This record gives sequence, C-alpha cells and structure tokens, in this order.
Amino acid sequence: METNTPSLRTAKATPKNPTGIRLFFKRLFQQKALVLMSVPFLIWLFIFKYVPIWGWSIAFQDFKPAKDFMDQTWVGLEHFRFLFQEEAFYRVLRNTLAMSAINLVLGFTTAITLAILLNELRQIVFKRVVQTISYLPYFISWVVAASIISTALSADGGIINELLLWLGVMKEPVLWLGVGEYFWGILGASEVWKNVGWNTIVYLAAMTMIDPAQYEAAEIDGAGRFQRIWNITLPGLKPVIVILLIMNVGNILETGFEPQYLLGNGMNVDYSENLDIFVLRYGISMGNFSLAIAAGMFKTVVSFILLFSANSIAKRLGEARLF
Amino acid sequence: MAKKHWLSGLAIVMSASLVAGCGSDSGSNNETAGSTNNESTGGTKTEEQAEKPLEKATFTYFVGASGKKDRNTNETTIGKLLEDQTGVNFKMEYLVGDLNTKIGTMIASNEYPDVLVPDAAIDKVIDAGGFIDLTPYIEKYENLKFVFGPYLNQMKAADGNIYILPFSTVVGEYMPDPNINQGAWWVQRRVLKEAGYPQIKTMDEYFKLIEDFVAKHPEENLTGFLSLTHDWRFFATSNQPMHLAGYPNDGNVLVDMNTFEAKTYAANEDTKRWAQKMNEINSKGLFDKSSFVDNYDQYIAKLASHKVVGFFDYGWQINNAQLNLKDAAKKDATQDDFVYFPLPVTFDGGKDQYLDPPGFVKNRGVGVTVSAKDPDRIMAFFDTLLSEENQIMRSWGIQGETYEVDANGRFYRTEEQILKIDEAFREQFGFKYFDWDWPQYNTNSTLSDGNALSPGLQPEVFQMGLTAEDKTILDKYGVKTYSELFAAPDERPWFPAWGIPKEQGSPQQIWETKKDELTKKYIPKLILAEPGDFEAVWQEYLGEFGKLDTAGYEKWYTEQIKAVIDSLK
Repeated sequence: METNTPSLRTAKATPKNPTGIRLFFKRLFQQKALVLMSVPFLIWLFIFKYVPIWGWSIAFQDFKPAKDFMDQTWVGLEHFRFLFQEEAFYRVLRNTLAMSAINLVLGFTTAITLAILLNELRQIVFKRVVQTISYLPYFISWVVAASIISTALSADGGIINELLLWLGVMKEPVLWLGVGEYFWGILGASEVWKNVGWNTIVYLAAMTMIDPAQYEAAEIDGAGRFQRIWNITLPGLKPVIVILLIMNVGNILETGFEPQYLLGNGMNVDYSENLDIFVLRYGISMGNFSLAIAAGMFKTVVSFILLFSANSIAKRLGEARLF
Repeated sequence: MAKKHWLSGLAIVMSASLVAGCGSDSGSNNETAGSTNNESTGGTKTEEQAEKPLEKATFTYFVGASGKKDRNTNETTIGKLLEDQTGVNFKMEYLVGDLNTKIGTMIASNEYPDVLVPDAAIDKVIDAGGFIDLTPYIEKYENLKFVFGPYLNQMKAADGNIYILPFSTVVGEYMPDPNINQGAWWVQRRVLKEAGYPQIKTMDEYFKLIEDFVAKHPEENLTGFLSLTHDWRFFATSNQPMHLAGYPNDGNVLVDMNTFEAKTYAANEDTKRWAQKMNEINSKGLFDKSSFVDNYDQYIAKLASHKVVGFFDYGWQINNAQLNLKDAAKKDATQDDFVYFPLPVTFDGGKDQYLDPPGFVKNRGVGVTVSAKDPDRIMAFFDTLLSEENQIMRSWGIQGETYEVDANGRFYRTEEQILKIDEAFREQFGFKYFDWDWPQYNTNSTLSDGNALSPGLQPEVFQMGLTAEDKTILDKYGVKTYSELFAAPDERPWFPAWGIPKEQGSPQQIWETKKDELTKKYIPKLILAEPGDFEAVWQEYLGEFGKLDTAGYEKWYTEQIKAVIDSLK
C-alpha cells in the first residue's frame, strides 16, 4: 500500500523511493502521532529556551531595568572589553576550569569504581546499606553540607585535624579552609562525598543490561573476577560513560555556585572564586546586568564549542555519541 | 510586553471580581469608598477614620533584612491596634538569602511588594524607577510633615523627588544612648576586675591587658583576641584602624575636620600600624586564626563560650551573644565575669570618636513602590503610625501593661514588666516588628513631654536594668552609663559618609568592590605572616592597592561631603 498508491499517481515525476524534502514529509506524515505529541514540548522549548536569547541584547547596552528597549544606551562590546581586560577574570576562569576538571575526573572514577564494587557484592542487604549511605549526602542542601564540611575542617576541634593529630601525621592543627592551595582538593573531596552514591545509580542501571550469560561464559573459560570486570563490565558500560562524558564536557564552565560561595573566604579567594561568583560580585551585586549577561554569553559560547568538539571526537573514534 | 498585557488582564479580572464580591455582601460598600475618597482629598483626621468602619485592606511589606518571622501585622498586639485605627494590615515578609538577588529579581520583573524596605539596595530600586514620589503625601499628611518636614531637602533624590522615608529623623531633643551600640574594644569584665580596673586608653595597653590575663590563666585554653570577618561583615575587622586613629565610622574614608577632605585609609600608615600590632599578637599566639574562616554564627557562639578575652566589634552585631551573657549573669552573679565591657581605645590614647554623631542616614529607609495598589491608604497608615500616641505605643507599649507613668509624668517600667518583655513577648506584642523598618521617630528622639522615645534610652529604665555588678564596674570607672566612658561625638553634618548614595556600577562602587577583595585577601596575610615577612607582604599589598583609582574615589567623596556642607549653609 505504501509503495502502490503514491507511485501510481506520481510515477512519472519521481523515482520509486522518494528522497530529499519529499521523503521528509512522507516520514513526517507516517509519524504524525509522534509529531503531534512532541508539539507541546517544542513550544515549551521555543518559549523558554529560544525567546530568552533575545535578552542577550542586554550585553551590548548599558542596561537600565526601568527603561524601554528603545531608550537603552547602546555601548557595543564595552562590557566584553571590561571582562577580558579584567585581571580577576582570568583567575576565576582558571579556577572554574580547574575545579571542573577535578570534579569531572574524580566524579567519573569514583562513581564507576563504586558501582563496580557494588555490582560485585553478593550480600544484598550489605549492598543496599552501602548504597543508601553513599547517596544520602546527595539530598543534603549545600548550605548544610558546607557547614558540616567547615566544622569538620575547623582548626579547633574539627574531626579531620583531631584525627591527623592523633595519628601523629601533623603536630599543629591546620586551617584547611585558610590555605588557598588546598581549596580545590577540599572541593573535589566534598563533591565526591556528596554525589558519588547518586552518580553510581546510572552505572548500576547500565550494568543490569549486561547479559549474565557473558559472565557465565567467562567464568567457564576461567576468567577471574578482575578479568571479568575488565573484559565484560567495563566494555558494557562504555556507551554510558562516553555519553555522560560528552554531556559533562559541555557543562565544564558550570562548576556550581553554592559550594564555592559557601566555603570561600578571604584567605582562599584566589582559588575558590569561580566565574559565577565573579558575575555575582561585579554584575548582579552592582546592578550591572549587562556585564552578567556578557559573562553568561561567554560561558554559553565556550560550552557550545566544547560540546561540539567532544561529540565530533567521539564520532571520529567510532564511539557512542550524543547526536 | 506580552507578559504585561497578560498581567493587566488578570488584574482587571481580579479587581472586577473583587468589586462584585464586595458589592454582594454589603450594601455600604459604595458609601465607604466614597468616604475614603473624601478623606484623601480633604486631609486626614485619625478620629474620623476610627469612627467609620473602614474597608479592611492588606498590603505586602517586604523587608530586605533577615531575622524575623514572616507575619501579618494584625497578628501582633500593636499591629491589631493600628488595624483598628486604620483598617490596614500588612503582610510582612523578611529576606531569605541574598539581598541583591532578591531585589534584582523584583527589578527585573518590575513587580514589587506594596511597601519595600530595600536596605542596602535602595539605589538600585530608585534607579529602576521602582518607587513612587512621596512629596505630595508628605505635604498632605500632618504627622508626615511634622517628622520629615525639616529634612525634606536632604531626602530628595537626584531628580528632586522623594522616594524614601528614612528611619533616622530625630524628633524633639537628641537623646544619647547610655549603652554602646556602636564600635568598641570589648573585654571580659573579669580581666578588668583582676587587673584592678585600670584606665585603658591605648592600643598597646589594651593588648597588654589581654596578654597578661591569658598568661595568668594557661589552664583555661583562652582565646586572646577574635575578629569578625564573615562576608559583608568584614568591615568589623577592616574598620579597626579608622577607629584607632580617632575617627567615627564613616565607611571607607577619614574626613579631615578642617579641610573636609576625604582620604581612604585601607593602605595608609594607620592600617599598617594596626596590622603590625595584630601580626605581633598573632605571633604570640593570642589571635584566633579561625577568625578568617569562621562564619557569623560560629563567631557569636565563640563570644558566648566564655573563652574569648577580647575583640573589636559594633554593639549591634554582638547583641545576641552579649544578651545571653547578661541573662546568665542576672541569674547567677558569678557569671558576670564573662560579660563584655566596652573600652574606647585609640592608638595613643587620644580623643576617641566611637559614638555616632547625630547623623542622617539617607540611603536606608522605606518606600512605596509603583506596584502599590493604594498608595494613599498606605501613606495614611504611615501618618497614623507617626502620631505621638502611636509612636509611644510602638516603643513603650500599653500603659499599665508594658510601662507605667509616675506622678511627674515620667515613663518607667516595673521589674516584672522588664522581666516579662523577653524575646517571645516582643514578638507576640509586636515590639520586634515595629522597632525598625517602619517610618518612625529616630531611636534618639524625645517625646513632647521630655520622655525618651526608646525605653532603653530613658535614664530611669537604664538604671533599673542594671545589676549590682553592672553598677560596681560603672562605679569603678566613675560613670553612670557606658557611653560616658566615650568621648562626646563631634558634629559631622555629612555623617555617616557611607550613607551617601552611589550610582549603580559607578567607578566608586567598583573601587569599593575591588578594595574589599584586596583587604579580604591581604589583611589575613598581613596578620598571619611570619613577623619577618610582614614588610614584604605589606609592600605586595601596596603594589596591588596602587592599581586602584583611589585618587578618583577620594575626590568624589570630598565633593559629596562639601556638597552636603554647602546645602546646610
């Protein structure tokens, strides 16, 4: 039926299998239910994700909230110039990238390791307990988490200092949050503590998709536990890992805002201040919305480039990819 | 744009349904509306309003400061009485989170609460055209005119309109505060007791006192000196050199009393001298290094822990800790040792200026926003609130219940009343809600019969609240109040300089942000450095500081201060 009727009517003009725009509309028609279902979401996407791009024009104005669009003063690239000439901007950019990279690497390795370890557990009760404990911190708000962390790191009676003193590793308590160089490490560890359990969930789900017959076969062939992990579990996880990696690379300029803001102080500001805090301080706090938008645009452009390059690298390597 | 249409459509539908609703349940609606109109055209009379049952109205009231529970004013005793007079209730909401973010959202959406106390974000809201001009209302209402009339010129914004009713207009005589609510160098009372109540005037004497005390009590694991640095409260640390040099809290500048030139001090010799001393204190192990990482709550907890011997701060910031210590001392006299005592310390024992001169803070106050449904009704409420009877009610309460009047007409409180008025009572009665954030007589005002407006400032009440130990220590220093320990403030018409409004994103604001960043970074470095490295760190700091346009900032401030002085000539 599919081939008969149209080809009869248009046999002269078109070949048997339609191509190009005709094919597109044909497929569209075939999938009309699907298309109709997605229309509301497209409208949503358009209104909330594309219409606001209009607001980017603010970056090129000396924006005053009360005035109409036509009454704004246009300043061209003035705000971008301020941004790129500002010494602090490069410092916060470095911090943002460093913290993102640390979080990315640590986040992936710890989550995958924990997921594999959990997967190997035979004691279901123990497995459930470990899993629950490890993802509980995820539900704590950063405000609370930050105060737990700063209490633990406190120089007077904080558990970390007490422990290290007791072990004899150090002689004097250290002001952990007061030394800038330690900040990235502290942040990385905190992020792991907070998110590792939650991040394992997706890997555990992926592992359930691996055919148990493969493990049985490997076991019969005499593969040990580590060989099974290496040759079956990890390759099975690969598509998930790659996809998540691509998505996270796109977010590399989003290190989050709360932990850095809440744990940061005058002594570690050189290492803790990231792009978002910079924008808050020089943009929103001063009512300079234009600068905030300019910085936001910069972030978007960088994320866009990173996402596309990661995706095309994955494509070239023949790995799973996003699009 | 589309959003606005949609909203106004909604507003029309809603108001239509309101009118319909009112009309159906009472036939007197038209009459009431008519009378409100008459009143608003013909000036107000409080009694007249009270006679006619006014239509009840509720307005939203946002306060850009945190610390109180959100509440309707008519759920408090004072608020209920005010509602009976005016028919107006306010739904009060307090800040949660960051002020600038919250105000920024209001500005961006152009939707405000009816009444807004924007705290430090006033300039932003004015800039965005968020407030309505209050000039006609001040003309119209007699109490508003009475309270704000003398200050009209100072209240005007750059465009000549009045957007803000400030909280700091003194009515009647200026009544000094017997307590220390401003800056002081505090020390535990037991330290003074053990040392035989010495006169402490200089920075060296002060730190020597602390050092000796800590050395004498090694078993107690004491903290010699603590400093508050958390977030915006950092000024409690960075302001110290200014006060030591004998200046009041003008913010970032020292103003020369003869030439009226403003000079910054963040990197001058005063700051260096102070930092050097703090560095020395630190190297002796007397400085709590955690000062630079602790947050405000941890700081207050430490002050209440009996372990901290001394610190510098403003009275209003340490109230929580000090009240706790005082309450404990009231129950058990031996605890009095841990209450903190304020000292007016300067570099060389010269004249101090810790007490604020009568000032006029024009960048803090309350305004009615462009979103307000019925500005006239709100201003009428403010007018009623500013009548003397109501001002007495909001600060003294109800006669026979929270205060008494003696044969000479002096207000006082009995011991039971003082005990009764604790935090929970203040909240329920409404003292807590009406003590600030509303159009009001300044705290230091006096009533027409000579009583102090604020119970805490009434000498009789102050004396009544003193414990035997309080009296002992005040006696030892030969004073009747804490403020007598301090030098009387010089007259500074521009005071406080930090209250002079700055434009959003202006070079002055950028200077301040950058300077804050620098001091937050370098003051810890300077204080915690090895004494041998101090000079090198200082030079590094000067180098960084030199990149700021300090001359421009000082010039701007000098001009502003001279303009204030000229406007008063």
